[in-house]
Amino acid sequence: MRKEWLQRLRDEVAQAWAVAFKDMRVYYLRPGMIMFGFLMPFFMFFSFSVRREMAAAQGVARLLALTVFFTAAAAGPFIIPLERRLGTYDRLLAAPMSLLSLLLGKAAVGACFAIGVSAIALIVGVVAFGAYIAHPWMLVGGVLLGAFSFSALGLVFGSIPTRNPGDVQMPSTLLRWGLLFISGVFIPLEEMAPAARAVAYLSPLTYAQDLMNHAVLGMGLLSPWLDLVVLLFAGILFLLPSIWMHRRSRRLGY
Amino acid sequence: MANAIEVHNLTKYYGDLLAVDHISFEVRQGEVFGFLGPNGAGKTTTQRMLTTLLEPTEGRIIIWGHDLARDPYVVKRQMGLVPEESNVYTELTAWENLMFTATLYRVPRAERARRARELLETFGLWEKRDVKVENFSKGMRRRLSIAMAIIHRPTLLFLDEPTPGLDAQSARAIRDLIRRLNAEGTTVFLTTHQIEEANQLCDRVAIINHGRIAAIDTPERLKAAFRRVQSVEVALEPDGQVHGGPLGALPGVSTAVKMGDKWRLYTEDPSALLPQVVRYAESHGLRVVSLSTLGPSLEDVFLEITGQQVGTVQHETRERGTRRAMGEGDRRRRG
Repeated sequence: MRKEWLQRLRDEVAQAWAVAFKDMRVYYLRPGMIMFGFLMPFFMFFSFSVRREMAAAQGVARLLALTVFFTAAAAGPFIIPLERRLGTYDRLLAAPMSLLSLLLGKAAVGACFAIGVSAIALIVGVVAFGAYIAHPWMLVGGVLLGAFSFSALGLVFGSIPTRNPGDVQMPSTLLRWGLLFISGVFIPLEEMAPAARAVAYLSPLTYAQDLMNHAVLGMGLLSPWLDLVVLLFAGILFLLPSIWMHRRSRRLGY
Repeated sequence: MANAIEVHNLTKYYGDLLAVDHISFEVRQGEVFGFLGPNGAGKTTTQRMLTTLLEPTEGRIIIWGHDLARDPYVVKRQMGLVPEESNVYTELTAWENLMFTATLYRVPRAERARRARELLETFGLWEKRDVKVENFSKGMRRRLSIAMAIIHRPTLLFLDEPTPGLDAQSARAIRDLIRRLNAEGTTVFLTTHQIEEANQLCDRVAIINHGRIAAIDTPERLKAAFRRVQSVEVALEPDGQVHGGPLGALPGVSTAVKMGDKWRLYTEDPSALLPQVVRYAESHGLRVVSLSTLGPSLEDVFLEITGQQVGTVQHETRERGTRRAMGEGDRRRRG
C-alpha cells in the first residue's frame, strides 16, 4: 500500500513537471508572456524610479519585488484559457493525474519564469547599480515563495471558466495594478498612513517587498519569517479558488 | 462477453437546458460502438461525460468495472481520447508531442522512444518527426492526435468525429487504423454523424436524438427493422428526369427522390413496384437504362429515427420495429 502510494506520488510529480516543462517550451516566447512577464516589471520600475532620489539598493529591492510579482502572475491568466480554446487543455484534464498536480505544474511555469527573470534583474542590480545583497538566503526564499504565491494568484484568473484569454486579462491586470499601488512598493510601509498600511497588509506583495528589503537593504518593517510564512500560505490559499473553479468548469462544460 | 462501458440513467443539464436525458446503454468489450446523432443531439456531451471532462447531473458510468465518479484515476489510465479537433501542440514537433503524452500517461521510460517510433512509422510520420506540427496538414495532425491517444496502449479508445474534413485517402487510412486497433483488442467508442462510416466500422450503433437514445442495434438489424424505407432505383431514357411526378404516383410509392440521372422510389414492397415501373416505361415509350432494388441504408434508418427528411418528403408514420433503449418514450423532458 505504501509502495503504491509512493509510486503514485512519484507519478504525480513527474506529470506536473512534464506539464510545466511543456508549457515553458510552448508559451515562454508568446507575446503575452513577454509583454506582461518580462517587459512590464522593467517598464514599471523605470517609470517610477527615474529622476527620483533613491539609493541603488532600494531600487534593486523594488525591481526584484516587481519582477517576481509581475512575471510569476503573467502565465496563469494567459495559458489555461488559451489551452481551453485550442482544445489542448482537455488532453491534460483527461490524463491520469490529479487536478492538484495539474495546477502545481501550471503554477511552476510562472514560478520558473519569475525565478529566471528575477535572476536577470538581480544581475542588472548588482552589475549596473552596484547593489550588495545583505541576506542571500532571504533573497532566495523570497524569490521562490513569492514566485509560487504570485503564480498561484495568476492561476486563479486562468481558472475562470472561459475559452477566451481576453476575458481574463482585464480583471487580472486590474487586480495586479491594484495590488501594486497598495503594497508598499512605491510608497514604503513606514511612510503610509495607518489605514493605508492596514490595507497593505492584505496584499501578499507587501510581504514580498518587505522580504526583498530585508535581503537587499538588510532591514524591513516586518519579521522576515512572517513574510515567508505569509507568502507560503497565500500561495496555498490561492490554489483553493482555482480548484473550485475547475470543478465548476467541469460542471459547466468548459 | 464483459462490458467495457455501462451507462445508467446518465443525464446532463446545462442550466435549464436538458442536453442528455436519462440514457442507459452498454458497450461490450472488443466491439466498435458507434454513437450517431444529428448536431446538438447530445453525442459530444455524452462522450465528454464518459471521458471525465464533464460532470453528469445524474446517473452512473461504469468503465471496466470501475465507477468513474469514484475511481477516475484507474479508468483514465486505460482510456485514450481523440477529440473532434486535433488537439496537438503545434509549437512542438511530432516527436515532442508523443514524448509529452507518454510522460503524462507514465509509459515506462525505456518504452517511450520505441513506442513513439513504432507509432510514427505506422502513421507515416516518421520522416516528419522533427518538424513542428504547425507545418502539418490536417490529415497529419489527425494521425498524430490518434497516435498520442494510443501511445499508452489504451484498452478503450474514444474517437469523436475522426474523419470529417479529411481527404478520402486520409479518411480511409484512419478507418483502416480503427479496424486494426479493434482487431488488436481495443474497444472503440466512435462518435460520428457520418452514417456510412458507422455502417462500415461499427459492430453496433446507438442513435441519439434530442438527448435520448432512440435505437441501439447492429447496423444490419436496424436496417432490417426499417423495411418501409426500401426503394427501387430506375434510370429512364429519353428525358428520364421529367417522370418524377408520375413515378411518385405509382401505387405503393411513398416518396420519389431524384438521385442524379436516376429516380429512387421509396416503397414497402419493391417486388410489387418493379413490374409497375417496367409497364410505365413501356407505355410511355421509354428505355429502362437501369433498374435495381435497394434495401434501407443506415442513413435512411437514421433519418427515420431522428425525424429528418428522406429525400424530399417527410415520412409521417413512426412505427419502429427496432429494439429500443430502456425507457425511451417514458421519460419526460424536464427544464
